Amino acid sequence: MTEHSEEGSLFRSQKFTDWPTVKEALIAKEVGAVFILAPMAMQLRADGVKVKVCYLGHRDGTALVVGKDSDIHDFGDLKGKIVAIPSRFANQNLLMHKMMKEWGMPDDSIELRELPPPEHPTALLAGSIDGYIVGEPFAAKAEVDGFGRVLYHTKDIWPEFISCVLVVRDDLIEEQRELVQELIDGIAKSGKWLDESQEHRMDAAEVAGKYYYFQPPALLKHVLSKPVDRVKYTNLAPLKDDFDEIMNLAVEVGVLSKPIAFEEYADDSFVKPLAELDWHMDELAKPTAADMEGKQ
Amino acid sequence: MKLKVLSGAALWLALISLAHVWWNVGFGNLAHRFEVLMGKERDELVVGFLPVT
Repeated sequence: MTEHSEEGSLFRSQKFTDWPTVKEALIAKEVGAVFILAPMAMQLRADGVKVKVCYLGHRDGTALVVGKDSDIHDFGDLKGKIVAIPSRFANQNLLMHKMMKEWGMPDDSIELRELPPPEHPTALLAGSIDGYIVGEPFAAKAEVDGFGRVLYHTKDIWPEFISCVLVVRDDLIEEQRELVQELIDGIAKSGKWLDESQEHRMDAAEVAGKYYYFQPPALLKHVLSKPVDRVKYTNLAPLKDDFDEIMNLAVEVGVLSKPIAFEEYADDSFVKPLAELDWHMDELAKPTAADMEGKQ
Repeated sequence: MKLKVLSGAALWLALISLAHVWWNVGFGNLAHRFEVLMGKERDELVVGFLPVT
């Protein structure tokens, strides 16, 4: 709720399909905030777009998937193979390079191929790639459909992995702090509610699958429960050490042309302790039948 | 003469302010902000997302 509205502000979502359009929409002020990949946010700022990372979308929730019956059993077995990544600006790309370094493999020992995430499972099934690394629910898709096997969850190889971050326009941060705070509090409260119980997660999978993601609720239930810490929605404050690690890797790999200081592209002033935040479910506006019809 | 200068300055100020609102803020947006301040409309923010992971 804001000072001026008993119902709370209205947050509308808008889907984008490519990065240049996101950039234009931010510059034209058509959107106030966007969830994008962490290295993309750094590059946006480096390109002079006045935005800041204010919060994270989630932690973990990415997996490296290979064919169910393939002879790939550890990272070293990926040598000479083709692995799909969502984008060169994805943290998944940086993770692959980090792993190659840790395993003592040359940078070109795995062919990394950019593919849109929904195409990852079908490409694996068709045999045009040997594995893929992507955010959920596309990682779980091959597993649930019986032709894929998770080689690694990011939680096991890069704990507290960051994929998606919330960037907000600088002018909103300066002029409409209350509105930005309401958005970030809402994300934090929703994350806390999700991580509170499995019952909440299953309810969320049902609603999000049917009305927002248009994906089978059973797939989202799998993502949110097998294992239960596969994806987390708490610990979403942007932390300097985490981002410095991503930024340094991005420079090393050549995704970013030069280093950029955390303070230049991040603003953690909206982060509140989770103990102060809770949804008051009885005060929330209930969606009308027309709202739900409109989403179908 | 003094009145003419003052009138001219006031007119210039009004025109330049209107032009600023028109180009940089938008009359529709200004009206919406006013309604939000008065509690008659809900504040609104569009949040984009790029499903690339």
